[in-house]
Amino acid sequence: MGRWWCLLLATAALVSCNSNPQLGRPVLRVSNWGGAGDDSDFDRQVQSLYRQFGEEHGCEVKIEGIPDGYVQKMVLNHIAGTMPDVMVLDASSAAIFINNGVLRDLSPLIAKDPEFKFSDYYPNVLDIGRRNGKTYAIPGDFTPMVMYYNKDIFDRAGIPYPTADWTFEKFFETAKKLTVREKSGKIQQYGFSFSTWMPGWIMWLWNNGGDVLSPDGKRASGVLDSPQNVETVQFLTKMAADTVQVNGQTVANPDQVSPSLSQAAASGVDLFANGQAAMVVNGHWALIGYKNAPKDSHGKPKIDWRRLGVVALPHNTPQSHTVMYEAGFAIPAKAKNLDLAWEYVKFWSSERLQKVYNASGIAVCARKDVSEERAVEPIEKEFIDIIPMARKPYGSWIEGYEFVERAGENALKSILNNGRDVKGALSYAAERIDKEFAKR
Amino acid sequence: MGWLFVGPATIHLAVFALIPMLYALVLSLYKFQLFRENPEFTGLRNYSLALTEEPFLNSLWHSFRFAIMSVPLGMALALGIALLVNQKLRGMAIFRTLFYIPAISSGVAISMLWIYVFLPDTGMINMATSLFGISSVDFLNRTEWAMLALVFMSMWVGLGPRMVLFLAGLVNIPTSLYEAAEIDGASNWRQFWNVTLPMLVPTTFFVLVTSTIGAMQIFTPVYMMTKGGPEESTDVVGYHIYNEAWVNFNTGLASAKSFILLAIIVVISIFQFRLMRSQIREFSAS
Repeated sequence: MGRWWCLLLATAALVSCNSNPQLGRPVLRVSNWGGAGDDSDFDRQVQSLYRQFGEEHGCEVKIEGIPDGYVQKMVLNHIAGTMPDVMVLDASSAAIFINNGVLRDLSPLIAKDPEFKFSDYYPNVLDIGRRNGKTYAIPGDFTPMVMYYNKDIFDRAGIPYPTADWTFEKFFETAKKLTVREKSGKIQQYGFSFSTWMPGWIMWLWNNGGDVLSPDGKRASGVLDSPQNVETVQFLTKMAADTVQVNGQTVANPDQVSPSLSQAAASGVDLFANGQAAMVVNGHWALIGYKNAPKDSHGKPKIDWRRLGVVALPHNTPQSHTVMYEAGFAIPAKAKNLDLAWEYVKFWSSERLQKVYNASGIAVCARKDVSEERAVEPIEKEFIDIIPMARKPYGSWIEGYEFVERAGENALKSILNNGRDVKGALSYAAERIDKEFAKR
Repeated sequence: MGWLFVGPATIHLAVFALIPMLYALVLSLYKFQLFRENPEFTGLRNYSLALTEEPFLNSLWHSFRFAIMSVPLGMALALGIALLVNQKLRGMAIFRTLFYIPAISSGVAISMLWIYVFLPDTGMINMATSLFGISSVDFLNRTEWAMLALVFMSMWVGLGPRMVLFLAGLVNIPTSLYEAAEIDGASNWRQFWNVTLPMLVPTTFFVLVTSTIGAMQIFTPVYMMTKGGPEESTDVVGYHIYNEAWVNFNTGLASAKSFILLAIIVVISIFQFRLMRSQIREFSAS
């Protein structure tokens, strides 16, 4: 008999964990894609911010970190009616939530709130979470994709730093000059480090006058495989090919400036952070890794982040374009503690908090005041100059855009690894995307 | 009292397997995207869509190819190892344990490990082959190699359970049969061929059926190591269905595809069982 009671008590204890253990203080559930805390200084600081909010509002903040399959789990939360009170929204996959009534329109809350001002934010960043005058997410932080360059490598080669008006050709010339070969022909230092990850190269298409989808976002054929894109992808893949065919013979590619995919995989390191590549396209988040770059045998970091520069991407179009990736705060339509959730969103997007939070340097704050204050650091200033060029990611308004990104990545891999024809690979990807869209 | 014993398992099975399966069967008749409110009844349209969809048919073919290669090779390896560890030698328990370890490790962890094994230049296999002057191969990024790499890995991963089953089969063979064979002057090879193998027929078929089902459902290594690539050459049906359901959110279509897979596995299993029965009959007749 006693055993049964134990079981019953244990079950009761498990069940009661779900409700609030702490004397009736309301629990505010917040979902993000973070993993377990790493107990770093920054992590501790963030934890104290959660506690601070809890103390100021007499509640307890419960963070539900979902590091893998965030979209899938949030969709399931929505269906199961277990949505948190606040959801951190990734711009790259925001469409599915914004388009399907998963999120609450925050406009009425904003209208009532004298403290909240749209003018505090960069307009193009704010626009990611807005549709027809409705606001579904308040931006937190973001990053435009930029070209990083290592000034030490440029100085060693006696080459001037890139400027925002550079073209593809100028970029390639620069990269070629910075590529250093050993006598054997083996490349010791690359001018550029290219990745087939599509969120990191879509901007090259824009910067040569091409695009991925038609303006209504419904068709890829004739757009993704346009002549401009074929040219762009030829340009990109030529840089990362270790061999070329000359008169039916396979020879080393004299125009290689970036590691081939297998060279990159075999090296197993971030070549830019390792000081082995002069330029790389990446977001602000990469700076954290660059600040903690691997050390050489003398214990000296292989790159000095203060000697890094950031510049707009090369472009053959009149203007340079780039894409931005962003994290915003949204309140699910099914959220239970609406008022508290709004207070939380305001708390996290407030100047006093973002100042502390952004000191980590993971991204650019969507608030102009905070970002501009941080621009005393030259590299931060360079990021701010690029913000007006940044477009919202397709994933923020096209549902299931991940499929497009995979098709794009597969196309580049098939060109680079299996020597497929560029036009053929792009047309195949476009066809697959169109068929996929037709199923929906 | 009997119900008390079967109750928990039955409830578990019903709640976590049967009811969801029935629900999926219903969903497969609807055009339904998980987050959309109003599913539209379309009858068998999802099935006809699936059966005319090239990527889906390709993925079925990839799974089939994987099974055709990995099942016989994996079984042969497992039988070989089982024969070896069946020797009555000291310390054999250690070997049996070692061979079984992959089976109790996490599939994700194993896949991560094998990514390194297959790395170009610096991976274990390429390091080994480079000693013989063979040039480096990027196994997971080559269309002609990626599937073979998965097959190779699966032989190792699936070794433990198969080996244990064969071992159980071997232990169950009465020693009197070998004694009789020896008196008749049969060589070791003859004994294996005329005693061991026929006596292992039921075990072999059991391993065959479970291995085939497992192979048709391979998912984790593909998800972790190749993402269906390169050029969709490892886009097996399990991974394809996962993407249909959880990347494209075509829940109805994904359910239909799952039931097509189920039907195929059932047909293969029935075929294998028929074969087994006729084999056993033949064996008992002789």
